[in-house]
Amino acid sequence: MKVNMYLNKRVAIVGAGLTLFRRRLLETPQEIAWEASRKALDEAGLELKDIDCIVIGSAPDAFDGVHLKGEYLSHGSGGIGKPVSRVYVGGATGVMTAIAGWYHVASGMCQKVLAVAEEKMSPARPHPQSVFKYIWDPILEKPLNPNLIWIFAMEMHRYMAKYGIKKEEIALVSVKNKRNAMNNPYAQLGSNITVDDVLNSEVLVWPVQLLDVSPVSDGGAAIVLASEDVARRYTDTPVWVEGVGWTLDNTEWPARDLSYARYVEFAARMAYKMAGIERPNKEIDVVEPYDPFDYKELHHLEALQLAKRGEAPTLLKEGIFDIDGDIPSSPSGGLLGVGNPIAAAGLMKVASIYWQLKGTAGKMQVKKPVHTGVAQSWGDLMQAGTVIVLRN
Amino acid sequence: MSWDKSVKEIKWNDVMETERYEYTVGPAGEEFFNGLKQGKIVGSKCSKCGKVYVPARFYCEDCFVKIDNYVEVDKGSAYVDSYTVIYKDDEGHVLEKPVYIALIRFPNTVGGLLCYAEGNVRIGAKVRITNFDWPLRVMVE
Repeated sequence: MKVNMYLNKRVAIVGAGLTLFRRRLLETPQEIAWEASRKALDEAGLELKDIDCIVIGSAPDAFDGVHLKGEYLSHGSGGIGKPVSRVYVGGATGVMTAIAGWYHVASGMCQKVLAVAEEKMSPARPHPQSVFKYIWDPILEKPLNPNLIWIFAMEMHRYMAKYGIKKEEIALVSVKNKRNAMNNPYAQLGSNITVDDVLNSEVLVWPVQLLDVSPVSDGGAAIVLASEDVARRYTDTPVWVEGVGWTLDNTEWPARDLSYARYVEFAARMAYKMAGIERPNKEIDVVEPYDPFDYKELHHLEALQLAKRGEAPTLLKEGIFDIDGDIPSSPSGGLLGVGNPIAAAGLMKVASIYWQLKGTAGKMQVKKPVHTGVAQSWGDLMQAGTVIVLRN
Repeated sequence: MSWDKSVKEIKWNDVMETERYEYTVGPAGEEFFNGLKQGKIVGSKCSKCGKVYVPARFYCEDCFVKIDNYVEVDKGSAYVDSYTVIYKDDEGHVLEKPVYIALIRFPNTVGGLLCYAEGNVRIGAKVRITNFDWPLRVMVE
C-alpha cells in the first residue's frame, strides 16, 4: 500500500497522564481534562507555557451533553491562547488524538504538543447508548430502530459462525482483561471472574451478554509529544512514535464482511510500513487492541496481523496473549477492565504502551522485555481504524 | 448536588432516547453553589499568580495548577459590565415587560455572572444581589 506522506521530524512521547476511570466522576468534563493534562505535563517535566499546540480528542458532543465540546474542553486542556484542534472519529478518536499530536510535530510545525482525550458518559439519561440514535441510515436502517449492541451482536455471531468459535472461547478475553485490570490503579472494573460468570450473565442482545461488554465510564487521558531534539533534552527514556495509520472503511456496514476488521488491517499495514515492521507477530512485544466487547479484541488481534483469521481464540487459550505470554494483549485491562470513556479509553491504550516501553507500568508491567508496542482503536459506524506503533 | 440523586436503574431494553442530562457542578462548583445558599459569592484564588476566579474554579487556566484556596468575594462591589434587553420570548411572542439580562463582575477578579437585572440598568452601575437562587437577580441602584 502506498501512502503519500512525508515526515520531517522524528517524534517521541515524553509524558502521559490518566484520571481514574469511573461511573459518575465528581469532576466536570473540563476538570477531568485538566487533571489528565496536568499529570502528563508533570511526567514530562514541562509547563503549559512550553507547549506549542493542543489537540483535543472527544467522541460525540452528546455524551457530555455540551455542544462544541472542543471549545468547551479547551481551557481545561490548556488551550487558551494556543492553536487548538479537536479530532473526532468515533471510538477510534483516542488513538487518533495521539496521531493528530504526532503529525503536528512530525510535520515540523510544532515542537511540543499536548494531546488530551476526555469523555464523560454519565450525564446522558436514561443511558449514553441513546446518543447513537441518529447515526443510522435514516431510510434503510432507522425504521428498525437499531442500537449499537444489535450490530455488534451480528458481528460477533458472524465471527463465531465463520470460524466455529464458541462463546466460552470468547469469554476468556473478558476473564483475562478484567484480571489484568486488577493491577491497574485507574481501573473501574478489575475483578477475578470465570468463563461461567460471563456465560451466566444477563443476555443483552444474543450473543452479547453483560460481561462481554465494557462498562460505561467517565475519564480523561493525556500525552505530551515532542520532536527528537527537544525530547532528548527532557528525558533519557523517550518512547518513539515509529508508525501511525488511520483509515476509514465503507460506511455502508451491511455490505462489509462482518467477520473481519478490514479497517484495522489497512491502518495497521500503514503503521507497520512506516515502522519497518514486516513480521508483526515476531516483532511486536506488547499490544493494546481496542476491546469494547470481548470478541472485538480477538477481531482486532487478527486484523493487526498478530493471529491468522479465526485463530486468535486458539492463541488466547494457549496463553500467548496473557500478561506473561509471548504477545501480552491488553495488560492494562483494556476497556473491559479499565472502563470505556470512549476517546479517553483509546488514548489510555497509547499511554499504557508508553509506560510499558518506558518500564514504568508498575504492577501492569509485562514479564518479558519489551521494545515495540502497538495501540489500536476503532469506531464510527464500525469503519474507522487507528493504529500507532511505539518503540523505546 | 446532582450526583446525590438516586437514579433509576436502566435496563438495556428500556426506551433508549436521551431524554435529559444531569450535570455535575464539580468540586469548585459545589463550593460556589453552597456559597450562594448562604448568600455569599465564592471565588477561588490561584496560589501561584494570585488571580481570583468568580465563580470558583478548580484550576488556574494560565498557571495550570490546582486551586484549593476558596475566598469570599465582596458582593457589594458587583457592577454591570454589559447588559441586553429581551423583548420577545423563545417563540417570538412579545413580552409584557422587557427583560434585562446583565453580565455582572467583581473588581480584581476573573470571570462574570449572567443574571436578571432590574432598576436603572446601565453599564458600570453598582448592583445589589436581591436573590441568590440560580440564576441570580440583581437590582441596579
